[in-house]
Amino acid sequence: MSGDSRLLGFWYVLPYLIGLLVFTAIPFLGSLYLSFTDYRLMQGMDFVGLQNYTDILTSDRTFTRSFKVTMLFVALTVPLKLAFALFIASILNAKLKGIGFFRTAYYVPSILGGSIAVAVLWRYMFADVGMVNMILTGLGFKAINWFGNPGTALFTITILRLWQFGSAMVIFLAALQSIDKSLYEAAAIDGAKPWRAFFAVTLPLLTPVIFFNLIMQMVQAFQEFNGPYVITGGGPLKSTYLLPLYIYEMAFKKFDMGYASAIAWVLFAVIMVLTLLAFWSSKYWVYYAGDKRS
Amino acid sequence: MSKKSVLNVLSLTLAASVVATNFAAAADLRMSWWGGDGRHVATQKALEYCTGKTGHKVKAEFAGFEGYLEKLTTQMAGSTEADIIQVDWPWLFQFSKDGTGFADLKQFSGELDLTQWNDSQLAPASINGKLNGVPVSVTGATFYFNDEIYKKAGIETPKSWDDLAAAAKKLNPQGLYPFDTTRVILMLMVEAFAAQISGQEFVKPGTNELAWTAEDIAGALKHYQWMVDNGIVRSAKDAAGGGNIEIFDDPAWVTGRIGGTYFWDSTYSKYNDPLTVGKLVPAAPLQIKGAKSDGVYKKPSMVFSISRHSKDPKAAAQVLNCLLNDKDAILILGDSRGLPASAIAKSTLEAAGKLTPERLDGAKIVAAASGPVMSPLIEHPTVQELFKDVIEQFAYGQLTADEAGEEIVDGLTKALRRL
Repeated sequence: MSGDSRLLGFWYVLPYLIGLLVFTAIPFLGSLYLSFTDYRLMQGMDFVGLQNYTDILTSDRTFTRSFKVTMLFVALTVPLKLAFALFIASILNAKLKGIGFFRTAYYVPSILGGSIAVAVLWRYMFADVGMVNMILTGLGFKAINWFGNPGTALFTITILRLWQFGSAMVIFLAALQSIDKSLYEAAAIDGAKPWRAFFAVTLPLLTPVIFFNLIMQMVQAFQEFNGPYVITGGGPLKSTYLLPLYIYEMAFKKFDMGYASAIAWVLFAVIMVLTLLAFWSSKYWVYYAGDKRS
Repeated sequence: MSKKSVLNVLSLTLAASVVATNFAAAADLRMSWWGGDGRHVATQKALEYCTGKTGHKVKAEFAGFEGYLEKLTTQMAGSTEADIIQVDWPWLFQFSKDGTGFADLKQFSGELDLTQWNDSQLAPASINGKLNGVPVSVTGATFYFNDEIYKKAGIETPKSWDDLAAAAKKLNPQGLYPFDTTRVILMLMVEAFAAQISGQEFVKPGTNELAWTAEDIAGALKHYQWMVDNGIVRSAKDAAGGGNIEIFDDPAWVTGRIGGTYFWDSTYSKYNDPLTVGKLVPAAPLQIKGAKSDGVYKKPSMVFSISRHSKDPKAAAQVLNCLLNDKDAILILGDSRGLPASAIAKSTLEAAGKLTPERLDGAKIVAAASGPVMSPLIEHPTVQELFKDVIEQFAYGQLTADEAGEEIVDGLTKALRRL
């Protein structure tokens, strides 16, 4: 292979590498450096060591509140979304007439879901005089103040996230379709009912995909911003004030970039620890094809 | 060569040089502002006119108020801000602590006619003797009521808190409220009540040392609770039912189920235009019991500044002069930024009958209202966030008025040391 040919691959990936370096790696390391400073936009910068981290972890009540809300949001959203996506994928796996249309239709919210426009729509739907309350009162129930109560406000943000189940669903659907049909035939011969076949055949074979979706959805849930920012502004009483909102407000409203960077790194550490935990636990519940245990 | 030929050649040369000079002087500029649709349309039309007048092309960069400061801050930090920038007055002190954050407009008095503003108007925008901006209008916050709601109920627009409580008794059974607030408006009102009680600005003049006491703030919060208890305003929980929206986007406001609110007089259109029922009329500030003043502080509603990084600040000053002091541009802009501070703009709009009585009355009420000169620190995001958070905790019953007063004083004392 000539020298030019050997470099060809490098030239192909060079644009990506430049992008990764300029738009990801440098800002990533830059924010790590800033987290050890008191850098405020338009003002000077001094190195403060671990001061920001100490403040965050010992005396910042807003961080504590926001952290708890974020953990609750993730704990609610991720399992519910995975279960819902798997449920819909199982239905869409059936051989029905016009199933292609339904598969597309159910995927659409995932494309639209993260947009500001849908968040605004959500706000109108759950407003005190919105469509959801109109339906509730029409059915004889009392209207609910979704955004005025801390508990229900977080619920509205959670179900916006659930509504965007499409990407997880598509991955589940692909995995369901790749399961060897002879396994179901064997289960049926052994007398397994569909419910039993689901738990004994489908679910174990889906565990690698469940694991993948778990990691992806968890990381995305920790980064949720548009929903609470547009729908509730983080309120009431900071009940929907997720950590990305706190980082944004600290950085772009109070201009405290050093402190905001430190919060971002704490969030990164939390995601990292939970991801490592998930990887560690995977050996007990994830079954790969060819695995000795399978 | 005949005399005629010489003159022809001379004329052609002169004409060519004028054209060449104009082309050389024509600049490509950017201008950024926030506002509502009315302001956006009027400003773009005025810029089109000023491009014809000055030869400078101006790219418009406009948005709503929400997010504008964040964008501007990022641009300022990266030195990529527009040449002409609409700046909220308190921001001047964040971006230009020593007066060098923006171009000194005194340097461009040849291009920008500064005689249209008096010294007291220019003083708040001067930092260390450097004129960082020209005020577009002067503003203060006061009460506005929807005339139709009160007319239908057969009551006069309120002149006191007792009037408002009496109005609530008549309007509440119909599902109406005589008045209402949002998180931001409530913060402004609590600050105004505290200023009424204390009779002074929130920090000791010229310092970062807090002047308001926990009792001043607790008194203000107790008055808010009285408003809720008497049905004057919806509870914070009920008002939050519409989600994260401004009052003028609230269907209850638009459809005339809320009788009034409290805002800066320069923002009249923003609150009045969405109404499908009635129109807003201004009222003098209502004093709470024991008030030492109206608690109204006045400030330049916004200023126009020129970037210190502008490649052609003279051209920017010419465009600014056209927007603020050219009669045709003034008529195009109308009252889209409130009652103008520039003398020629004000007289032009008055002569053309372009200022509505509500605009003029609102400005007169604010001008006549009493209150302390307020430090721009009151509008610092950290100070505002603290007020909003603690007031919300009080409104949801998590803190008593006294506890909330203490919490704000403690928080402000610490925060002000850092600012």
